[in-house]
Amino acid sequence: MEFLNFVLIAWTAWLVWRRPDREGRAFGLLIVSCLLMALLFLVGTHTSFVPGINL
Amino acid sequence: MAVSQRRVRDALTWLVIALTAVPVGGAVVLALVHGDTPCILCWAQRTSMALIALVGLFIVRYGPRPRYLGTVVLLATWGVFMGLRHSSLHLARDIGQGFSAPFFGMHTYTWAGLIHWVVLLSIGVLLFLLREDRGESWPKEPGRASRFAMGLFVVVAAANAFQALATTGPPPFMGQADPVRFSLDPRRWVWGNEELAGRLSLRGSWTVPEPDAADLDPDPAHGPLPAPPELPITGWERIGVPLYGALSGLAHDPETDRYLAVTDRYGVYLLDGTLARTLHHVTVDPGFSIDLSPFAGAAFLGDTLAVLSTNKSYALLRADSTADEALEWRHFRETDGAMRELRLGRFATVRARQMYVLSLAFDPSADELITVAVPSPRHRRLVVSRFARGDLMLSSEFEPRLGADLTLGGDDRSLAEYVVVGAVAEDGLLYALSAAYSTLLVIDLGERTVRAAYAVPGLEQPVGLAARGPQLLAAQADGRIAVLERPGAWSPTAKE
Repeated sequence: MEFLNFVLIAWTAWLVWRRPDREGRAFGLLIVSCLLMALLFLVGTHTSFVPGINL
Repeated sequence: MAVSQRRVRDALTWLVIALTAVPVGGAVVLALVHGDTPCILCWAQRTSMALIALVGLFIVRYGPRPRYLGTVVLLATWGVFMGLRHSSLHLARDIGQGFSAPFFGMHTYTWAGLIHWVVLLSIGVLLFLLREDRGESWPKEPGRASRFAMGLFVVVAAANAFQALATTGPPPFMGQADPVRFSLDPRRWVWGNEELAGRLSLRGSWTVPEPDAADLDPDPAHGPLPAPPELPITGWERIGVPLYGALSGLAHDPETDRYLAVTDRYGVYLLDGTLARTLHHVTVDPGFSIDLSPFAGAAFLGDTLAVLSTNKSYALLRADSTADEALEWRHFRETDGAMRELRLGRFATVRARQMYVLSLAFDPSADELITVAVPSPRHRRLVVSRFARGDLMLSSEFEPRLGADLTLGGDDRSLAEYVVVGAVAEDGLLYALSAAYSTLLVIDLGERTVRAAYAVPGLEQPVGLAARGPQLLAAQADGRIAVLERPGAWSPTAKE
């Protein structure tokens, strides 16, 4: 899944760099990447979402 | 501030280049040179830094639009949380310990948290320098550095995609908690989805309910040790003075024939031998300095009074007719004016970590204080912890084994079903009274075994245990005290 996310990120950067007129699509891909990144972190911490320390 | 928007953009461009090249690109170099492989949480942190750099490119290209600035703030805030969550796995370890290799003296997950914090700081500076013209003065065309930043970013993102393919695999595979060393040899690549295993939890192993001795099965016949011999209650006594709160611990000092009683509302009472007269009393302020949860145990250390909270924090007090009442005001919510606080502290344990306690004993022969941990659904252990009186640090800890004469009632039964609410140490033995199944355990401190167990029918919510010569006194929350004859042949000088 991390591979997929970096492909999305590289694609987004390429649009910004080489196809600046497609700003809306690039921003949409950026948001998808952000959500995927957050989701993967939550998967990795789903057995204890908050830090394992005294609160 | 009179700074041209072109300069602001150029500064932002170089920040993006630095973020892209050092943590995001440098991580790939670390993989190629040192075989460093990120775990699933490291991957998320690295991805977040890449996304922040990407949003920086959006700003460089299209101007500081609110949705871009908002996205960076959201990413950086999430990144600070990720850094805290990830680092919390390792921050409390011993010197030099951590996960994977350190980088300039700090482990990578710590760096990621710091970088996200710096991003938040940078966004504040950027907002401070922006003109209030809705981006109209923002340069329309990217400069040479901006184009370089975009090209560099695409290359670094592609390199990361390759590393991610090698170490985490194509979808639906994902990063691992404990990844293997990076290799360019596909035969060494390990892909999996083990991170999906495990149940959802907000706090994980820290999900430990506070102990509630009132909600336990008192029937000895239901306990893990089948049909223990009965130890009958031979009499009843009662604390004859009004207490502030419910009784939660009791100790007896044979030298002075005084009692120390504590309550769940932080009351500490020094009583005479009749239990009918208060010699001294205070109500400790639990919120001052160290957080004291309700008191659960008491012990005499000579003329020092030790009281213990369920969270293993303690207070050492001493009766002193010369106590400075003005000075002690900060320690006590209520006092008779003749008590001093000597020290507040916290017992640190290893096996009993993340477990509460409901008992405290003092072993004069070893000069140690003793606690017995309360098992919980997350931590099913019966742990005896011993603390040196000198420095109040852990000196030893063990889970008692079953003695040769005892057997459990089934393979699914365990000593960790007992909830010890009171304890007394004498002659190398620890008498531990469990509110669950109303059972008295006799633990040999030398052999670390449960030597004997006795059913004590008739107890109602016991909270403490004290010794008085040949008798054991089981204190209840209602202030009544059940008198038991100590099992086995007892003498004041010889071991049983």
